[in-house]
Amino acid sequence: MTQNMSQCLLRMVEEEHVLADYQSDITPRWCVGCGDNAVLTAMQRLCRDENLAPEKTVCVSGIGCSSRLPHYMNAYGFHGVHGRALPVAEGVKIRRPDLNVFVTTGDGDCCSIGAAHWIHAVRYNMNLTMLLHDNQIYGLTKKQASPTTPIGTQSNTTPGGVYLEALNPLTVTLGIANVSFVAQAADWIPDLLYQILRKAFHHKGFSFIRVLQRCPEFMNHRFDEFVRDPSKMRILTHGNGLRLKPEVSRIYKNQETHDPSDMARARAIASLDDEIPVGVLYHDPEVPCYDDLRAGERPNTPALIKTVLNEEFDRVAIAAGDGPAQKVAE
Amino acid sequence: MNQANPSQPLPNSPAPVPQGDTPLRPALFARFGDLSSLRYDYPLVLVQGQGSETVLRPLSRIIDDVLRICSAPGAADEALRQQVLALEGSIRSRIEQGATGKLSDLWRESVPGLLKSAGEKQFGPMDRNLDRAREDLDLDGLLIGCNGDTPHITLSHIWKAVHDERAKVFRKTVDGFILQIADILKADYNKSDDAHKADALRGSVGSTDSGIIDFHKLSAVLGREHPEGRLPKARLRRLEWVLSILGSQRFFGPGRSSGRGLLDQAPHSHIFQSCEVALEAFRERLPEVVLLVKALSTAELEVAHKYNAELHDPIISALDESDLTAEHLRLLPPALVLLRDGKSDNADTVRAFEALASGLPIKVLVQTDDILGETTPAPSQSSFGAASARLAAMAMGLNNVFSCQVSAAHIYRVGHEIVRGMQFDGPALFSIYSGATETAPGVAPYLMAAAATESRAFPTFVYDPSGGPDWSQRFSLNCNPSVTQDWPAHSFQYEEANGNKADATLPFTFADFAITDVRNQRYCHMAGKNAAPERLIPASERIAHPDGDSAEPEPFVFAIDPENRLSKVVIDTKIVEAAENCADAWGRLQELAGINNSHVVHELARARAAWQAEHREDAPSTLERLSAPTPPADSPVAEAQPQPAAPDPAPQADVSDAPWIETLRCTTCNECTQINGVTFAYNDDMQAYIADPDGGSFRQMVEAAESCQVSIIHPGKPRNPKEPDLAQLIERAAVFD
Ligand SMILES: Cc1ncc(C[n+]2csc(CCOP(=O)(O)OP(=O)(O)O)c2C)c(N)n1
Ligand code: SF4
Ligand code: SF4
Ligand SMILES: [Mg+2]
Repeated sequence: MTQNMSQCLLRMVEEEHVLADYQSDITPRWCVGCGDNAVLTAMQRLCRDENLAPEKTVCVSGIGCSSRLPHYMNAYGFHGVHGRALPVAEGVKIRRPDLNVFVTTGDGDCCSIGAAHWIHAVRYNMNLTMLLHDNQIYGLTKKQASPTTPIGTQSNTTPGGVYLEALNPLTVTLGIANVSFVAQAADWIPDLLYQILRKAFHHKGFSFIRVLQRCPEFMNHRFDEFVRDPSKMRILTHGNGLRLKPEVSRIYKNQETHDPSDMARARAIASLDDEIPVGVLYHDPEVPCYDDLRAGERPNTPALIKTVLNEEFDRVAIAAGDGPAQKVAE
Repeated sequence: MNQANPSQPLPNSPAPVPQGDTPLRPALFARFGDLSSLRYDYPLVLVQGQGSETVLRPLSRIIDDVLRICSAPGAADEALRQQVLALEGSIRSRIEQGATGKLSDLWRESVPGLLKSAGEKQFGPMDRNLDRAREDLDLDGLLIGCNGDTPHITLSHIWKAVHDERAKVFRKTVDGFILQIADILKADYNKSDDAHKADALRGSVGSTDSGIIDFHKLSAVLGREHPEGRLPKARLRRLEWVLSILGSQRFFGPGRSSGRGLLDQAPHSHIFQSCEVALEAFRERLPEVVLLVKALSTAELEVAHKYNAELHDPIISALDESDLTAEHLRLLPPALVLLRDGKSDNADTVRAFEALASGLPIKVLVQTDDILGETTPAPSQSSFGAASARLAAMAMGLNNVFSCQVSAAHIYRVGHEIVRGMQFDGPALFSIYSGATETAPGVAPYLMAAAATESRAFPTFVYDPSGGPDWSQRFSLNCNPSVTQDWPAHSFQYEEANGNKADATLPFTFADFAITDVRNQRYCHMAGKNAAPERLIPASERIAHPDGDSAEPEPFVFAIDPENRLSKVVIDTKIVEAAENCADAWGRLQELAGINNSHVVHELARARAAWQAEHREDAPSTLERLSAPTPPADSPVAEAQPQPAAPDPAPQADVSDAPWIETLRCTTCNECTQINGVTFAYNDDMQAYIADPDGGSFRQMVEAAESCQVSIIHPGKPRNPKEPDLAQLIERAAVFD
């Protein structure tokens, strides 16, 4: 409306951010060697490179080691209730669409107690970026099996080893109606983690990233064979997906050109046993977003809410006086 | 086709045309004797509630749409089709008799009469059919006929449709700001002591409280804990000021989300009957625009949390009327000025051009009821007289004025263009001929209006400065019949005195149009019955060759009298001259539309002559040039240089024995930095690199390499040869080379 003028005025106070602008005063309390550090760094780099205003950025989490991430970001944060990060994030987003909302959660947080919210969040397809830190264990509570813990793993809750086949968060997400963005990253390939996060951020809709995350404390050596043998990592590249830097390409030679709009192939890749796929498995920018569908023609001002409510009440209320209801009564 | 019947013998000697009571009609009017039996663009529905997408729709098209949906092709639904068409006819005659109202109402009101005249009962088959059709009626609005009120009613309707859309966008933005600023103020209030008092807390729980909560205790607890950091006073004042300005702006009325009673004063009106008043209103409202611009800019910065008082205060407070840009003026809703030539104050009508030249978003309708003007030099009733037909062309000369000329008969066809003119950022002129000419008594305004377009007396055209950079994108003449011809031609059948049927193709010229006007009838007379054919020449031929001997032969047009008897009417020089003028103006418009462009015609003739001359002298050379020169096969062809292959970035380890890290692959896991925070440090991307190779021991280097889970630390060779256990450390380091 007064765009040119406002843009001039905004330019006067434009700030270039550095990574430190997104680091909070609290030093991360994660164990040395924990993969969560890499995720935090990737997120801070993204904020810097996209020049996101810290006061317009929100990180919402549940409970767990991974869920401590909001404390370490210099942005708004909500360290919530176990398993309930998504509903909180959805509430923030629908009321304040101008904010950049990130969700961090763990495999326990998302796939056990929060599983219902996860399914519905995918179906709602609101414009959020979600990172599932999957260390395949409850870390914060010191080693209990989670739904993604591999079969046979001994833990404090499964001293005889896990009995059940692990749940695959990728195939589950790909099976939910309205799914629009599914990717997998590994914390030990930080450059791809960053690129995937960036793709996810630019996707308008719900972006789901499963990050395979090392927990040297309770799942030590779990991913060693993959960390040490790059040929076991299958990197998904595509003109619309990842493009590898030469340094990365030289090490990770096992590459597949995968079109992210190909759902059938995405599902096949998600089900790979012996290799870990890294990249964008599925992307459909056309899926409608719940926040857009429900945005409404007018801003939801208190006056509008009052007007609409009164109109509704008038329709059903029995009026004292000469309203329509009175006429019916006569 | 209707027939004209020249059954009366043509009079012997030139007789003056009887004036007034038995007016002449151009022969081609014969087929439009009874408009009510025709399905044309009127009655017209001023469509409501469909935004600017559909603003106008003729009744006949609406009925066709309905029939397409509700009736199946074939005999089964034939009865329904006939009944609905009869209903359309009934609505049409009601409108012609002066009825007004919404389509849905007139539909309802027409049904009983139809049922009665068809001898059908209520709820009988015909009633049910009509009801079925009505359910497929998906638009509604005021129905109007074609008369002297049509132009201003239609233009006001279109203006309002565009205004409502503009208002919606405006309110969405402004109400959005109001909401966000109110949120900021509310968040601040929630930090206050007041917000933590027992009563406030009770209020926030609502009426379901059944005494289980002790709000005094809660208040005591929350009072101790409540957050710090209230908004600075200056910011509070600024936000409240913005709210007050946005809440009291008068350019657009409040919407549902703005709440009622927000405005102390009624919103501004934007429809005027005078350019002077409209311009005055603009001037008076400028200070309000300035305030609104300040408030909007402040709001935009405030909700983005970017308002910096030190930098922005001086700029915002210094803004005044002289700083307003076109962008700001766009906040003002365009004004609509309704002028009627001959009825509005003449001086003010002439000021229309001052308003248009101002560049302000003023939309001016000049409605003209008379485009022929007075035939005597007596002072004219109207401001522009015969020049009315040139108003829109004059406005084009101002360059940034959207100009549209159209007769009432064709308004529907340029509906989208009128919408564009209303949406256009700058001024617009709509010059509309209503057809309600008093000096053509007995001719339906629609017919007059249509004839004005046909005869080129009032061609339809649109000039849209926002259409593109050149004439071809800005100017359109396409809505006129036979646009590439001088006059449109129509085939015509008639009966000769001996009863034989005959065919003719008649051009419809300005002269045909002019004879409808009683003021012109003294400039024509009936051709003598025995007038020798070679002494008469069709008017169109005379107009095309104005330089001929004007005395002989005499130009004529075919006319009919009220009984549809055909005669040749000889026209005077006065009409011929006016027609020549009209043809000339039409030719200029055609040129603007790229038809018979004189520059092109001349250039083509010149080029052709030059080519012919050259062709005769030097045929081979022309041929040579025509055959495209093909370069010899071995001639050098510019080609992209092969790109040098990108050098494969080789590991730096080969370069020296210094320790190094594959930084791009670092996971920020803190292992190495924990071992030695001097040797190992993070770069701007929070990825580790060797900050100081001599910052620690070779042992630490090797231990870090071993702890690094992604094995990206390469210890290199020891820096200090005196370090203990070197041999063993070198061996451990070897795996990382
Ligand atoms: C309602 C509730 N139930 C149980 C807990 C205990 N609890 C805390 S964290 C956690 C699991 C966290 O696992 P995960 O989400 O994988 O996070 P990680 O620590 O592995 O990053 C559980 C069960 C809790 N805090 N709240
Ligand atoms: S316990 Fe595991 S997941 Fe938690 S901080 Fe330590 S390494 Fe990371
Ligand atoms: S140990 Fe390796 S991965 Fe960890 S911070 Fe150091 S270089 Fe990076
Ligand atoms: Mg976990």
